[in-house]
Amino acid sequence: MSSLVAFLIAFPLLLGAVLLLVTRASIRNPLVLLGGASIIVASIVTVVTFGNGDGIFFGLPNGIEPGYALLAAEIAMTSFIVVIGLANRRFLAPAMALVQLGIALWLELTGRMPEIDAQRLFYFDRLSMIMVLIIGIIGTLICINALGYMRDYHRASPMIKGRRNVFFSLLFVFLAGMFGLVTSNSLPMMLLFWEITTLCSFLLIGYTRTNETIGYAFKALNMNLLGGLAFGIAIAILATNGQSLELSELTKGTASGVLLGAVALLCLAGITKSAQMPFSSWLLGAMYAPSPTSALLHSSTMVKAGVFLLLRLSPAIATTPVGYLVAFVGLGTFLFVSLVAVTEQNTKKVLAYSTIGSLGLVVGCAGVGGPELMWVGVMIIIFHALAKGLLFLVVGTIENRLYTKDMENFDTLLSRLPRVSVLALVGMAGMFIAPFGIVIAKWAAIRAFLNVPGGQGAVMILIMAFGSSLTIFYWGKLLIKVLSMKNIGEYERSIEGRVTRYEWFTESALAIGVLAFTALIMPISDKVISPWALGAFNQAPRTLLNIEPAMLVVLLAAVLFLPLLAIWASHRSYDTSDFYSSGRNTNAQHVMGAALGGTRTVSLRSYYLDGVINGSLIFRLGTATCAGVLIAMVVTGMVVR
Amino acid sequence: MFAWIAGILFVVLAPIFGGLLVGFDRIISARMQGRVGPPLLQPFYDFGKLLQKQARQVNPVVEPLILGHVAFMAITGLLLLSGTDIIFCAFVFALSALFLVLAAGSVNSPFSNAGAERELIVMLASEPFFILMMAAVCKVTGQSSFAGVMASSHLVALELPGVVLAFLMVATIKLRKSPFDISTSHHPHQELVSGLTTDMSGRMLAYVELAHWYESALLATFVVLLFNWSIALGVVVFLVAYFLEILVDNSTSRIKWQLVLRSTWIATLLFSGGNVLVLFLVAR
Amino acid sequence: MMSNFSRSPWILHYDGSSCNGCDIEVLACLTPLYDVERFGVLNTGNPKHADILLVTGSVNERNIEIIQNLYRQMPDPKVVVAVGACACSGGIFARAYNIQGGIDKVVPVDVYVPGCAARPESIIDGVVQGIAALEEKRKKTA
Repeated sequence: MSSLVAFLIAFPLLLGAVLLLVTRASIRNPLVLLGGASIIVASIVTVVTFGNGDGIFFGLPNGIEPGYALLAAEIAMTSFIVVIGLANRRFLAPAMALVQLGIALWLELTGRMPEIDAQRLFYFDRLSMIMVLIIGIIGTLICINALGYMRDYHRASPMIKGRRNVFFSLLFVFLAGMFGLVTSNSLPMMLLFWEITTLCSFLLIGYTRTNETIGYAFKALNMNLLGGLAFGIAIAILATNGQSLELSELTKGTASGVLLGAVALLCLAGITKSAQMPFSSWLLGAMYAPSPTSALLHSSTMVKAGVFLLLRLSPAIATTPVGYLVAFVGLGTFLFVSLVAVTEQNTKKVLAYSTIGSLGLVVGCAGVGGPELMWVGVMIIIFHALAKGLLFLVVGTIENRLYTKDMENFDTLLSRLPRVSVLALVGMAGMFIAPFGIVIAKWAAIRAFLNVPGGQGAVMILIMAFGSSLTIFYWGKLLIKVLSMKNIGEYERSIEGRVTRYEWFTESALAIGVLAFTALIMPISDKVISPWALGAFNQAPRTLLNIEPAMLVVLLAAVLFLPLLAIWASHRSYDTSDFYSSGRNTNAQHVMGAALGGTRTVSLRSYYLDGVINGSLIFRLGTATCAGVLIAMVVTGMVVR
Repeated sequence: MFAWIAGILFVVLAPIFGGLLVGFDRIISARMQGRVGPPLLQPFYDFGKLLQKQARQVNPVVEPLILGHVAFMAITGLLLLSGTDIIFCAFVFALSALFLVLAAGSVNSPFSNAGAERELIVMLASEPFFILMMAAVCKVTGQSSFAGVMASSHLVALELPGVVLAFLMVATIKLRKSPFDISTSHHPHQELVSGLTTDMSGRMLAYVELAHWYESALLATFVVLLFNWSIALGVVVFLVAYFLEILVDNSTSRIKWQLVLRSTWIATLLFSGGNVLVLFLVAR
Repeated sequence: MMSNFSRSPWILHYDGSSCNGCDIEVLACLTPLYDVERFGVLNTGNPKHADILLVTGSVNERNIEIIQNLYRQMPDPKVVVAVGACACSGGIFARAYNIQGGIDKVVPVDVYVPGCAARPESIIDGVVQGIAALEEKRKKTA
């Protein structure tokens, strides 16, 4: 086990270093493919070896102790941030990095840092297993997809200087960081991996090195470093109070006293990483990065690190005031960003808002706690990684064909990019249509919130009701755009020919994943998710949710039946007609005759609820509200004894 | 087993109930306008005719999507009566409405598309209420299935007066009645031609009608959930409510979508939300 | 035996170059006095839902295309009823510079309803004859 995990961390790191030196596509492509395949195999082997499913502790292979290596790595990263910050005349990020390093040095040099058992550096349980699979399989598929995407990306915008060697190197270094993060038991080590992902995200957002993207990159860096700083302070609090620095010790039961303060700070770190309000703006800025980056870092994996930590911490905060306040940061974010998403026209930003909202739900679940909500949280993490990763990749593919991210320009997509549209449909269905995982999870969340005592339960249910409906609205709008077709016999020509085989392969694989996971939801729930959720709260095995097989069978049959119906319909000959436009019919170019012999082009626009929902106002309101709740959360954690 | 029979009975009988309801609706509306009105079975004659007419469609995705709309309406009823969790049924109910939106939206035409977008808005207006209502019913009775709620000793409507009030308002949307009928514009007030259904003809339109009958029967079932003394009482209350809807339909004109959204949300928040809040505060 | 077509004729009313006299009479058919909904008649305002195209007024240069499009978009079986002198033959406007003549210049007409303006009774009578023509066409296609 220990050597497998070491391989998962070291191999991508090594591959990243090699890729940095490779500037030719003919060498890079096979390297990425082979490396990716090895990572997929290694992560599957890790899971298979893992066996019976109880959590296990282990150290580095052959009992190697990390010693001062952690500190050295931290110093290296801090120096990098300081140099790059000063070079760009940004001072906040270097300052925060230095403070954090200062804390680490102070603890280390004054001998306050407790000894960490070298055999308990890592911890692996069912949740780590799920995360390893997500990172190892979905993450690697996204890296492979990037081979195709980046070629077209640079073709489409020749002004951007190509640094693809750096890009792919960073993707793999990031994977290494993620593998380390989800298997760490020692908090200082986890913090190191945490900062690696922050740094990768920063560099990838700033990939194009325009003033705009550098600004967004530093915004992301600042907010994530703030989280890292909170993480560091939490470690300092634990260390100076003689507490253990093992995550597994921290999450044994409800935290109290000084522990609760440290846990509250760790929650703050998780909330920044998951881009919850008031820190949501960094994820929106991150949408300027190339689409595979958005898929890998900003939807499938990195932002999941935040909610992963929160789910781990959930037993410590459940039923405490801190827990409820964390929950309201998450649920408040879900509601506010869903409102804002309704008014957004940039498809990638809609995806980003939806990501923040889904993570908000997980944060809400982690805050309230209890096995049922743990189940919901894990379900959303898995399903979101599959469906949203797929959607980001598909939008990337579309963007490289249509040269736009504006969803108003996605009209007649089904005619122009038929197979890509079908993949998009699968992804969107996964995000909000009834029998797919996220809706199952939302339903389960409502059921669980019904048991939350007092007024907060009612507010949670209200948020779920309104938030879910808003979700249907903005996805529905996008679906209309994708599905809309011109009149029969006037199809626009398909422009699908140039989609690369890397993109076909990875996107189809993710789409199949969405469908397969839905079909296998019951066995996966019974074998993996339920035992973990119950184990986290030390409860005996039982059935968590009463999902009747009949209900799943009926729904699944219906969902699988519809594509068949669509295929049947497409082979059937129909009496065709053009659409009704008051007798003034349009031609194939959607041009119709108008008054005085003129012509008008028909173009359709969606509703953005102008005048009812003011997006920017709601965003500021949400930021302010959640900031208030967040401050209350940290203060409560610090003060309440 | 018994529950499944009930579910299958719903699938078979709901169209008859819904069709007769529309028949009565047309007669009563006509009487309110001083006319005689069509025969009671008129909706069935229309349905039969539409099936026999040529179906011309604008693109090949319309028919599968409309079939999905009908199928999921029926499935919602089947699941609801056969004992599936009622909150989950609210999500499936929304899915069914979404299929209609997509069918109309896929027609790249101004009238259909405006109808589709407006239908999304009325979904946005009504969906929170249905989720909230189902959650409230579960909270009051501690049950999650239709049979469980009916067997519960709690009288739901007495504990959920606010939800019943909001239901009256939101049902107007689902029954496609003025002043909330912004997406299909039934009747000859035709600023949107026929909205969603503008480009559907022949059997496509018949399917939409069929789905609407199911939808009416589903709403009746929801009322039965609220008045869980007995099924008969629930149906009677639904019929009275339906009569009120017809009255409102004939005495109001259509309003703008902004007002639809605002008023429905405010009603949902104030009446149902307030009701649920009180319920949680006083609950065990 | 009456088929569903006879019981549920849905009408699309198109106003050509009418003086609006016939249109008023068409709408009068819907009022409580005549109440054609008794016979299942609906005024749909949408060719895709309609069985009977009911045209008042004559054809002019600008509405040829419109009438043809509306007729084309109606699903089969379908009939056309020309209501009033203008729709039948161009009426008093027949010699005007912009007028082509009756509706039968652009689409096949099944029933001609005379009158200036046509009376509601005769319009209803025309629709009833239209229903007979509809039945005829249905049998032919079936």
